Amino acid sequence: MTDLDTHLPNIAAGDPDAFARWVAGAESRVRASLTSVAGAVDVEAVVQETLLRIWQVAPRVEPDGKPNCLLRLAVRIGRNLAVSDLRRRRVRPDVVARLESRALSDQVDAAPPDPMLRRAIEACREKLPGKPASALDARLSGPGTPDVTLATRMNMKLNTFLQNVTRARSLLAQCLKKRGIDLDAELA
Amino acid sequence: MTPQAERELLIEQVVAAWRPEGGEDGVRSHPAWHDLDEAGRMEAAERTMRARRIEAALHPQGLTTTARLVLAKIRGS
Repeated sequence: MTDLDTHLPNIAAGDPDAFARWVAGAESRVRASLTSVAGAVDVEAVVQETLLRIWQVAPRVEPDGKPNCLLRLAVRIGRNLAVSDLRRRRVRPDVVARLESRALSDQVDAAPPDPMLRRAIEACREKLPGKPASALDARLSGPGTPDVTLATRMNMKLNTFLQNVTRARSLLAQCLKKRGIDLDAELA
Repeated sequence: MTPQAERELLIEQVVAAWRPEGGEDGVRSHPAWHDLDEAGRMEAAERTMRARRIEAALHPQGLTTTARLVLAKIRGS
């Protein structure tokens, strides 16, 4: 198990590079912890708000002696944000209860980087045809920009831009599968 | 456009990291997310997990578009 708390002292001191290293290991675990309520909560919005709050509270976090205390706190914050959102929107009580009653794991693991997967994805990305490749590149390089703006910059209608991104993802997945990589299995 | 094609476009929008500015309420849900039914939202979340896995693998520091967006906000604040 990777203990991401090795980054905590520097994060608490206000080092954004240390926070980036922590986020690289923690984000997928925070996201996975919200899977059960993905039908009722916009998980992406909750994950982003959780990460922003972790940055804010990190200077006040006291380690409890177990690994990944900051990651465990992030999972709790994410869950609480989701519950608040559900209550604010008056979502079905059984959905709220399911989230609230979910046991929190004290053994949250952090996924290590996978250089072989990276090489395979890069090889498949290079094979993408022009427009799908350009649309996907625009998405990856401009995460803070709305799709409609990205589409306009590429002289595409929004729907055409989205179709190209979808096609790029589909072609990538097919290419990876041919190389024996099943992303669904990797994420399971 | 068929309902299935419209659904696909909504899901693709939700997979993006971009979200509206939230002000005091924090990060807000994507407008397209509200137009999806529960199954569509689940599908969008699953596709987002796959997309972020690819993004992290491609980035030299393992950062997804979500991570880079959050870090840009932190560095800009």
